[in-house]
Amino acid sequence: MTARHRLRSLFTLVQLNGIIPIRSQPLYLVNLLASPLSFLFFITIVSRGAYLAYGITGGMILTMLSVGTGLQSDLTHYRHDLKFQDIVVASPVEAPVYVAGMALSELVYSLPALAVFVLMFIAEGLATVSSAVVLAGTLVLVWAFASALAFTLATYFQDVRETFLFSPLISLVLTVLPPVYYPLSALPGWAQVIAHFSPTTYAAGLVQGSVGLAPFSVSAALLDWGVLAAFTAGLFVLAALKARWKEP
Amino acid sequence: MVAAIRAEHLRKVYPQSTAGVAALEDLTLEVPTGRVYGLIGRNGAGKTTFVRICGTQLKSTSGRVSILGLEVDREDREIRSRIACIPQESRPLYFLNVEEVVLLYLTMRGMDRVEARRRTRDALAELSLTEYAKRSVQRLSGGLRRRTLCAMVLASDADLLFLDEPTTGLDPIARREVWEAIRRTSREQRTIVLTTHYLDEAEALSTRLALVERGRLVLEGTPADLRGRVRYPYRVTIQGSFPREELEGYGKVSEIEGGLLVFTREAEAREIARKALELGVRLSLGPVSLEDIFLDIVGRSIEEDTPREEAAG
Repeated sequence: MTARHRLRSLFTLVQLNGIIPIRSQPLYLVNLLASPLSFLFFITIVSRGAYLAYGITGGMILTMLSVGTGLQSDLTHYRHDLKFQDIVVASPVEAPVYVAGMALSELVYSLPALAVFVLMFIAEGLATVSSAVVLAGTLVLVWAFASALAFTLATYFQDVRETFLFSPLISLVLTVLPPVYYPLSALPGWAQVIAHFSPTTYAAGLVQGSVGLAPFSVSAALLDWGVLAAFTAGLFVLAALKARWKEP
Repeated sequence: MVAAIRAEHLRKVYPQSTAGVAALEDLTLEVPTGRVYGLIGRNGAGKTTFVRICGTQLKSTSGRVSILGLEVDREDREIRSRIACIPQESRPLYFLNVEEVVLLYLTMRGMDRVEARRRTRDALAELSLTEYAKRSVQRLSGGLRRRTLCAMVLASDADLLFLDEPTTGLDPIARREVWEAIRRTSREQRTIVLTTHYLDEAEALSTRLALVERGRLVLEGTPADLRGRVRYPYRVTIQGSFPREELEGYGKVSEIEGGLLVFTREAEAREIARKALELGVRLSLGPVSLEDIFLDIVGRSIEEDTPREEAAG
């Protein structure tokens, strides 16, 4: 396949799994907005508005993670129920193109939610050139590791119902327990240590630091970028080793 | 000439098989190019396992397979650019319409959009799907969905097509349309591997056939070859009263509704026909069907599934 053919395949997958399903069922767009907005509402009410900014930045991180859980369900469904992956394997489409195309297609569902949160981000006066760059970079990494995790897990699921079982657990471990919607300092000392095992803690630390919600230092930011990038790279390696293109 | 498929001593044991039952056992087979090659056998006989190994979707346990002269283990990327497949029990993506299923499959394979549109239009017309082009897959019957998948792979530019049970669930007219499309595709010098347990379909379409049972190749050849290898190549159906004991020496006799069925040889068939004429009994005579051959060789009907513990997929 030439680069041009690969691009055509990639765009077709985005169209096939992203644009067309939304055209036939626009409610998909609202669906991805529901959880982050619910968390934002809840955290703002409970904190009497003090954590609104945390809710906005956390909402964007949760939106990117939701892309991963959606991807996990779609991959499992396509593989087992529709045998779509078998059709793709026996075609010129290469595994990395399929992975990238499917992950990008899921991103389409998140665009309205991201747009709403970006508008709030600007309205709350959080947007600067540096915070926008940090936010964009962080969200790309969160999307990448959520997609890699989705590919790895989808390999082991035998039925789409199993993904419904795991998605809330992943959401709990990666967004509710780590300090995505609140400052790290709100957690007791022992919980702060545990929180550092979650990549989202570093993602939230970066975004919160860039908008002045958490103390900022260059060394801490570099550490956060490094750990987040390492988590993402690790999950990609795991996906490459464990995700099955050809069955054993 | 390079064979479309060359499998040598192919063996497959699924990792999840606790009993270590081989889904394929020492299967050696050569599929010539530019023809329709039928793979027949009961459910669970190993047909799908063979197709999935050739389609680069499944690894074999041992043995060698080459596709269009390329080794499956080492050159799967090159192979994939030249094959297309409809897996057994596959369904088109339900939120697409019929035209999108075909068109997007072709562009996903990297085909230029103008060429993809032309091929889509032709394939839909050939399989009488034009009137459903804009209809959502969700609103199609099972048969139309299967036909859409057939249009999808037949429209591709692949040299080798794997059609795993492509006509399951189709009505007789739709089956004939798929058959015609398959014949036309093979006339373009493309190779089609057709797995089916509709023996009439295998016989009508295939220039060569392989019969697989419990993961082993039992018989291979042209339909005429297969007939030549059975004990009794003729089937005589007698309607009415005919003394059964007089037939016992002629071959294999069984009772059917309103008469007798005899599998026999040519000379004996003539003799039975002569006696039937003397007795004024209605009789029909002809070569055995593929169904008869299957029953004779395997000892069971093709409709019977392989027992679960022996199932190969």
